[in-house]
Amino acid sequence: MNNKIVKTLSAIAVMVAAVSGCSNAPAGLEITDGWVRVSEFSDHKGGMTGAFATITNNTDKDVTLVGGSSEIAGMTEIHEVLMLDGEMKMQAKEGGIVIPAGESVTLEPGGLHVMLMGLKTALLGGEEVTINLDFEGAKDMTVTWPAKTSLAGDEEYKPAE
Amino acid sequence: MSKLSRRGFLVGASASTGALVGASAGAMVGASLATDAASSAAQTAVLAKSEPYVGVHQNGIELELQTFTNFVALEIKNSTDKNAMLRWMSLIAGDIARLTQGDPVIADAQPQLALGPARLTVTVGFGPNLFSKLGLEGKRPASLKELPAFKVDGLKAEFSGGDVLLHVSADDPIVLSHAVRRLIADSTEFASVRWSQQGFSNAQGVTPNGVSQRNLMGQVDGTDNPALGSEDFANTVWIEDGPDWIRGGTLMVFRRIAMHLNTWDKLGRQAKEEVIGRKLDNGAPLGGHSERDVPDFNAVGPSGLKVIPEFAHIRRASPQAPGQRFFRRPFNYEVGVAADGTPDVGLLWTAYQRDIEKQYLPVQRRLDQFDLLSQWTTPVGSAVFAIPAGVAEGEIIGAKLFS
Repeated sequence: MNNKIVKTLSAIAVMVAAVSGCSNAPAGLEITDGWVRVSEFSDHKGGMTGAFATITNNTDKDVTLVGGSSEIAGMTEIHEVLMLDGEMKMQAKEGGIVIPAGESVTLEPGGLHVMLMGLKTALLGGEEVTINLDFEGAKDMTVTWPAKTSLAGDEEYKPAE
Repeated sequence: MSKLSRRGFLVGASASTGALVGASAGAMVGASLATDAASSAAQTAVLAKSEPYVGVHQNGIELELQTFTNFVALEIKNSTDKNAMLRWMSLIAGDIARLTQGDPVIADAQPQLALGPARLTVTVGFGPNLFSKLGLEGKRPASLKELPAFKVDGLKAEFSGGDVLLHVSADDPIVLSHAVRRLIADSTEFASVRWSQQGFSNAQGVTPNGVSQRNLMGQVDGTDNPALGSEDFANTVWIEDGPDWIRGGTLMVFRRIAMHLNTWDKLGRQAKEEVIGRKLDNGAPLGGHSERDVPDFNAVGPSGLKVIPEFAHIRRASPQAPGQRFFRRPFNYEVGVAADGTPDVGLLWTAYQRDIEKQYLPVQRRLDQFDLLSQWTTPVGSAVFAIPAGVAEGEIIGAKLFS
């Protein structure tokens, strides 16, 4: 039971730290544990990578992550990963990612993510990546997330037809 | 949790004892509940204890031994420059902030294993070669050099050296394993692992705080250490001058010392006590009564011989001049047993001090000249690391060194 309290307290501390790190955080929308993946797909100019985080919508209205932009990438899209013809493929998520009122959505390798394409330089572990996230139903947010190596998240990209 | 166990107990009681449930049974239930609550609190107490990760000094040195430890030494890649070191250390600092509080790191592949803090600490150190590789010779503490060769040494490369040390300890082996895995995963972009050496001390609750633990030779080990939190400790260990990045830090000597238990076990109790200079039952110096008694190196026995023999380890290791002291924090290791029954055991021995040349080396040189104990021990691994100062919230370890 004590451990649960400790866990909850530290989770709150992490949230506070994450929110206080974003001066323009709109009330009611919390983004925590954000990071950008470093892999062999991101270690060169023109490469690509995914960005991940947990987005919690504390408002009483649905909020949708519809797009974004970053100085490090030529193009930024909201993606999903699907099983297509027996293979994991990722593609643009039509309509964006809905975060229902009062709920959390986790963007993670092998699932929903922010796709950064056409990287302007190789992405290096430990770099801070600034991304503008565009929302419908909430103010847009600018976040700065660390780049980290992760083995998870190798999906083949299926460009829109 | 107590609700669950209450239900479990009542169901069990009614099923097995049926009609016997009465006033006395009710009292038993109450007593049993209290015991359950106390024992479950005790069970999770080890897991719930956390150590701070911010402060003037890095953690993992001035605290009671954790039960499990892993020393991981890495060698930087050719592409790793000062900027890369900053990026690496920022990832490590972020990991430490979370792991020490029992939380998964960012992008954790096994977040389920962050069971709790379990007094996890991560201490980061930099070896002498790192300074030359990065062109930082001017910032290297003068006494941070590979140790000279000693005639007692039987060093192996796979246990020695290293550019960067990640020393991770915790009271739970799963918590430790997870933390080490995450820290290494965030390091391989910058460095390769040169060696990792695992060790252990007593389980929590077995040895009261402040009581010296025993090594696998049976000796009480760690007597005469500067007391944790004391001025003596600070004056012995924590560096106050020199380059800014090391102020609040310390210098560490790491020695993997193999114990030859098959030959040691041939000795009788009295011979073992004379080799070390202490009684085996309570660690008292020969001629003394309790562990903390000051050894009387001049005392002569009825035979006319010194009570603490000339060859005794504690005589050879005792400071012969002011300042020849350091803080020891030895863990045990046990790797396996050979076909003939010889165990591969020993110490992951560490000494922390302000200045290796002035504090550790005079003692080690003396032991190298003559120390009967060295017939049953062989240093097989050796490394030295500078442990930079502690960090504030969000600060990068070693930032002042690499910036």
